[in-house]
Amino acid sequence: MTTITASTTAPPRARKLVGAGRRQWIGLIYVAPAVALVMVFFVIPLGMTAWMSLHNWPLMGEHTFIGLDNYWAILRDTRFWNALKFTGYYTVVVTIAIFAVAFPLAIFIEKPRPLTNLYRTFFFMPAVVGFASASLLWSWLLNVDSGLFSPAAYDLGLIDRKFNLLATFQPAFWSIIAMVVWKVAGFTMIILMTGLQSIPQDLQEAAVIDGAGPFARFRAITLPLMRRTLALALILSVAGSILAFDQFYIILRGGPRNQTLTAVYWIFNQSFVSFKLGYGAALSMVLLVILVALSLIQLWLLRKPEGLD
Amino acid sequence: MRNVIAKLALAAAVLGSGLGTAAADTANIWVRADGSNFMPRIVDAYNKAHKDQIRLDIIPNAEIIPKYGAAAAGGTAPDALSLDLIYTPSFAAAGQLEDITDWAKSLPYFASLSPAHVKTGTYKDHIYGLPFSADASVLIWNKKLFKQAGLDPEKGPTNWAEIAADAEKVNALGGNIKGFYFSGNCGGCNIFTFTPLIWASGGDILSADGSKATLDSPQLRGAIDLYRSMVKKDLVPAGAQTDTGANFFAAFAAGNIGISPSGAFAIGALNTQYPNVDYGITFLPGKDGGWSSFAGGDNFVVTKGTKKLAVVKEFLDFAYSLEGQTILAKYGSLPVRGDIAKDALKDLDPRYQVAAEAMAKGKTPYSVVFNDLINSANGPWTQMINEVFFGDDVDGAIANAQETMQSIIDQAPQK
Repeated sequence: MTTITASTTAPPRARKLVGAGRRQWIGLIYVAPAVALVMVFFVIPLGMTAWMSLHNWPLMGEHTFIGLDNYWAILRDTRFWNALKFTGYYTVVVTIAIFAVAFPLAIFIEKPRPLTNLYRTFFFMPAVVGFASASLLWSWLLNVDSGLFSPAAYDLGLIDRKFNLLATFQPAFWSIIAMVVWKVAGFTMIILMTGLQSIPQDLQEAAVIDGAGPFARFRAITLPLMRRTLALALILSVAGSILAFDQFYIILRGGPRNQTLTAVYWIFNQSFVSFKLGYGAALSMVLLVILVALSLIQLWLLRKPEGLD
Repeated sequence: MRNVIAKLALAAAVLGSGLGTAAADTANIWVRADGSNFMPRIVDAYNKAHKDQIRLDIIPNAEIIPKYGAAAAGGTAPDALSLDLIYTPSFAAAGQLEDITDWAKSLPYFASLSPAHVKTGTYKDHIYGLPFSADASVLIWNKKLFKQAGLDPEKGPTNWAEIAADAEKVNALGGNIKGFYFSGNCGGCNIFTFTPLIWASGGDILSADGSKATLDSPQLRGAIDLYRSMVKKDLVPAGAQTDTGANFFAAFAAGNIGISPSGAFAIGALNTQYPNVDYGITFLPGKDGGWSSFAGGDNFVVTKGTKKLAVVKEFLDFAYSLEGQTILAKYGSLPVRGDIAKDALKDLDPRYQVAAEAMAKGKTPYSVVFNDLINSANGPWTQMINEVFFGDDVDGAIANAQETMQSIIDQAPQK
């Protein structure tokens, strides 16, 4: 009897295990290419960067292990901290500016109206231009002698002396902000538009019946239901801005007088101008930690109230 | 059977040795894009006349150093490299280059090679680099605009006061015409064209061995005041303030600038690309006269451990021949052999003679951290020149640059 019991209960359990095991293996095989890609293009380079950061690693010649010396040097590197401060300032300003432009645009193009597709394409188009190409284009537009803005204003008689937008901090900084907003707002707009479109129409209609005005509906329905979309757009914008480099390198060269040196620019400078590859690697690790911490904080802040989901 | 094998072996040996002598060796050399005019011509001429061959790669100016470093680390560096001469000390200090002292000193014309190049090519009394291409800084002026402004078109300025006065007169022509041009945000351009004004007046920005920054000299301050006064009087186009060197030559070539410091390369470029611009060439003067020049260009360096040393030497020997020097001169580099410079230049524009004379007495600052100090767009020199020419706090900018430069020098791995 016991043998019968054993023989009747064991086979299904065994079959279940075999099935689960096989599925696990199949799953692993499916994700293997992705895992391999992540290993080759992220984990191994990251490990190598961490390893390099513990060395005095000049561009040419022998490298020597120096432990945490590069990290101690970072503590005294005022240029890096200034660059980081500027990067933070730029991130806040540009993120606000991008959202201030992208949100109204997203609302404008969300619902199908005549010419909506044309508008969507028009607003999104700059996003497909590479940052380096866009920077080159804008550096020409901003050129005081041969560009568009200053010569046009001069020729129209609006100014009596050509004004070099890139020569002093404020105009140079805002020129970059304008360029980045032009380039990125379309992309953010698309993300926000998908968020807006996923809000159930019934909720809006019910609120209208309850007498809620447009602002109340925006505050009580749109914003809370957009929380996840906003988190995504915000993290993308913040991470992208903290890693800003191309536009500051191509248009301003960190100028005027190093006032627009970003953190990545300083890493580039130390690695490929001063050829201190080990120190550059250490700076990269520090920036990575800052970036991960900031992303986690943003996720935590924006995920907290999940009541409406 | 044994006989057959022996015969086969003999035949193989004969064939092998025959192939061995027939096979030409090929050495790979790199040059920065600045040499893209003359380098392919001289390599072609060499390859046509020699069994051993040179394979040339032209690398963008900004990429050649990191690219060479990466290639050296990966064991794929070229056999030799035509390298901006100012980098030679730091490359030598890194132990990357072949010591060519004995060979260099055995050259019968060694004493006639450009002294500034040989000085930067020498590290701890050993020679790691020899002159290849050369460019001297000079002052150029637009004769047509001088004439229109009532100035003698055949006489360029010979001191600072004349520079300012002539520029002002040309500027008075109005419209798009400006008196003076310089790239106000380019460290490399200004070490090339601005420091000769200081040197010619008895000052310097670095001590001879590169161990001290000497920015606090009255000569530097005087030269700054000259530029500042011209900026204040609006004699300089507004674009100069942010020009990182892209417009260094183009501004003058457009024909709207009265006077501009430049390099001898401008002679070839103006003659071939801008034949309508009538210009004169003179030395970069000191405050009260005299003159000086920056000796620029490339040193030829050999990668340590290359197996193609013989080919590389043969090529360099060809470059130093009258034929080689003439090809270089014809396509944009001044001769680097003083003893045959006149002959190499004899069929060319006579204005080259001024540049060659400037070159012979040219000066190049010596530092293992030249790039950090001077060429870097974010280095202390570039930051200072932009502030002192266009900003408000001249003394603060000089003091700040002096301190930063000294601290970079002090932290350099090897001096």
